[in-house]
Amino acid sequence: MTRVLLADDHPMIAAALEMLLNGTDYEMLGRARTGGETLAQVARLKPDLLLLDVNMPDGSGLEVLDRLNASRTRPAVILLTAGMEDHQLLNADALRPEGMVLKTSDPALLLDCMDEVSRGGVWVDPEIAERTRAARERASNAPALTKRERELVDLVRQGLRNRDIAAQLGVTEGTVKVYLHAIFEKVGVENRTELAMRAGELLAHR
Amino acid sequence: MLGVLFLAASLIDPEPAKQQSTYALLLSYLVFASAVAIATWRNWWLDARLALPTHLVDMAMFTAIVFSINGYTSPFFLFFVLPLSAATVRWSWRETALTAGALIALYLAAAYLVAGTGTFELQRVIVRSGHLVILSLLLIWFGVHQRFTRLFFRIDEFEARLGSQDDPGEAALAFAMKVAGAPAGVLLLNRSGGDRFEGPRITGAGVMTARIDRPLVRDPAFSAFLCDVPRDRALTRQPERRARFARAAEVIDIDAARQIGLDEGLIAEVRSGTDSGWLVLWGIADLSVDYVDFGRELGRAVGAILDRHALVSAIEISAAANTRLSIARDVHDSIVQFLAGAAIRIEAIKRAAKSGRNVASELDDLKRLLVEEQDEIRGFIHALRRARELELGESVEELRGLAKRLGDQWSVACDVRARDDTASIPIRLQLDLQHLLREAVANAVRHGGADRIDVDIAVDDGVLRLSFADNGSGFDGGTRCVPQEPRSLKERVERAHGSLRLDSRPGSTTISVELPLAGTSA
Repeated sequence: MTRVLLADDHPMIAAALEMLLNGTDYEMLGRARTGGETLAQVARLKPDLLLLDVNMPDGSGLEVLDRLNASRTRPAVILLTAGMEDHQLLNADALRPEGMVLKTSDPALLLDCMDEVSRGGVWVDPEIAERTRAARERASNAPALTKRERELVDLVRQGLRNRDIAAQLGVTEGTVKVYLHAIFEKVGVENRTELAMRAGELLAHR
Repeated sequence: MLGVLFLAASLIDPEPAKQQSTYALLLSYLVFASAVAIATWRNWWLDARLALPTHLVDMAMFTAIVFSINGYTSPFFLFFVLPLSAATVRWSWRETALTAGALIALYLAAAYLVAGTGTFELQRVIVRSGHLVILSLLLIWFGVHQRFTRLFFRIDEFEARLGSQDDPGEAALAFAMKVAGAPAGVLLLNRSGGDRFEGPRITGAGVMTARIDRPLVRDPAFSAFLCDVPRDRALTRQPERRARFARAAEVIDIDAARQIGLDEGLIAEVRSGTDSGWLVLWGIADLSVDYVDFGRELGRAVGAILDRHALVSAIEISAAANTRLSIARDVHDSIVQFLAGAAIRIEAIKRAAKSGRNVASELDDLKRLLVEEQDEIRGFIHALRRARELELGESVEELRGLAKRLGDQWSVACDVRARDDTASIPIRLQLDLQHLLREAVANAVRHGGADRIDVDIAVDDGVLRLSFADNGSGFDGGTRCVPQEPRSLKERVERAHGSLRLDSRPGSTTISVELPLAGTSA
């Protein structure tokens, strides 16, 4: 029996996965709904396999995986996602999970992935592999942003106003405007909405 | 100062019979004027408050002076000028005209009362009345032409009326024509670079589009000028206000001028953040050199109107983009996740059926979930299709339906109450309310083990107030501030520019949310 911990905050997904694993060689140990809860349950239950949703409150799946990578031992991890932006795909790829599955793909693929990972292998959903390759290509063509510019792009993507961005970065509103203008020029966008739409691709490039 | 001057003048007045009353009068006026000067010194409030009473006293003083000193050297004329100038500076030409009319009437009445006395001279009364009328007309004319300096007051009024759907070029041209008194005009703007200029042309025949394929003005020194094409004349004012004369053919492209139908008129440069070009007005009845400076201001005003409109449009586009992103996030967080879960369930049921298990109850469960989700999606689409706002009563009805489904799903009693359900709320807020309710119920059950949740909604002073009170385990520690709040709720509230507060004690937790109605896009 492979002992499985599920980390997903969506009740429909969680109930469906429990049902899917019912009667298989996988034993569902429990379910975590937040990033913090996941880390606590991994430490307590010591599962063999962690099904980890990328978008969770209080610490995303990627943050959880990053923390687990820093510890001495960790369970095999399969990332579950309903869709990721370019920079998330590249971050996920860099964190080397054993498996990556799109929630929107054929559910049979999840079982294939779990089987492969349980045997010690690595299994990545073909669609994710293709998207990651394309994201890497786009990232290599994108202009390089400085650390400060990357921070600013991330805050614009979160929909913050200049005043709030200035407060977060500890600079004046005028400085934010100057920075933004420079970024617009550098990446060839007309306004902040366009910048927010391309933020994923720009942040993916390191 | 005037009071002191006249007191001194009266002291050397050769008519002793009038001296006693004149001293008293001038002394009183001196005391009054000094008191007003001291009281209003650096006190703008009192200055404005005392303007009218002081004005009336000045006019009364004028009448008294006419009575008491009517010799050839009498200084009454200055007393006439004082209230009239004050009215011109303080108010509009109408108040100036009223003051002038009242002063002339008082002067004539006083003259009538002293008629027949030894010092009365009819000829002098007529000449002086003529002077008063001429001076009055001069100051009234000055007041009327203050429109040149009051242009920007009118821009504010105009912009308040300008809707975002109106064509800003046409609206700005109509505004310029109105304030300049021009029956026809054209606003030529270059938006795409190159030498092509186009824009609205308004004449008695209606609105058309005018186009020229080369710049109208050749000499950049002529940013605002008068132009007479048939007589080949152009006139502008240089910064030091000296007139500069030129041949029209040297300043403008004559063919382009003919193309837009210009004979004689005012041309002013227009610049905005995105466009540049010229405002051309013709048919102005009283066209004079004063219109050069006025035209320059008018060109700036038109640029300001175009900028303001561009800014409002950009804000609307940005709000619409934010709404689209928000809807995409909502669809991703709810519908996509639900469908993914449903697909996994079908796979599970298929495998269970293959292994010979009875899957009827699992299929029934899935069917029920699909029907419920279908209701939610229908409500979501309904909300998106509606106008920009919906009544709170309607919103509450939908939330009650959702509360019932959530109650069934989480096995809790969930009750939604509303105060003042006639208020209107933006569609975006309705979608937020649905998600807040989902997240609040899930949190109360998951983290507090609640079995009862009371939701209270009210609209008050442009703010939607929402509270979720549950009977879960709660915690001891009084009131906590935002950073410790449930993150998913907090994020959604912050996206709607609202605030969230959590009060908890053992056996009860209340989450209070305030969301501004304005500033959220539909």
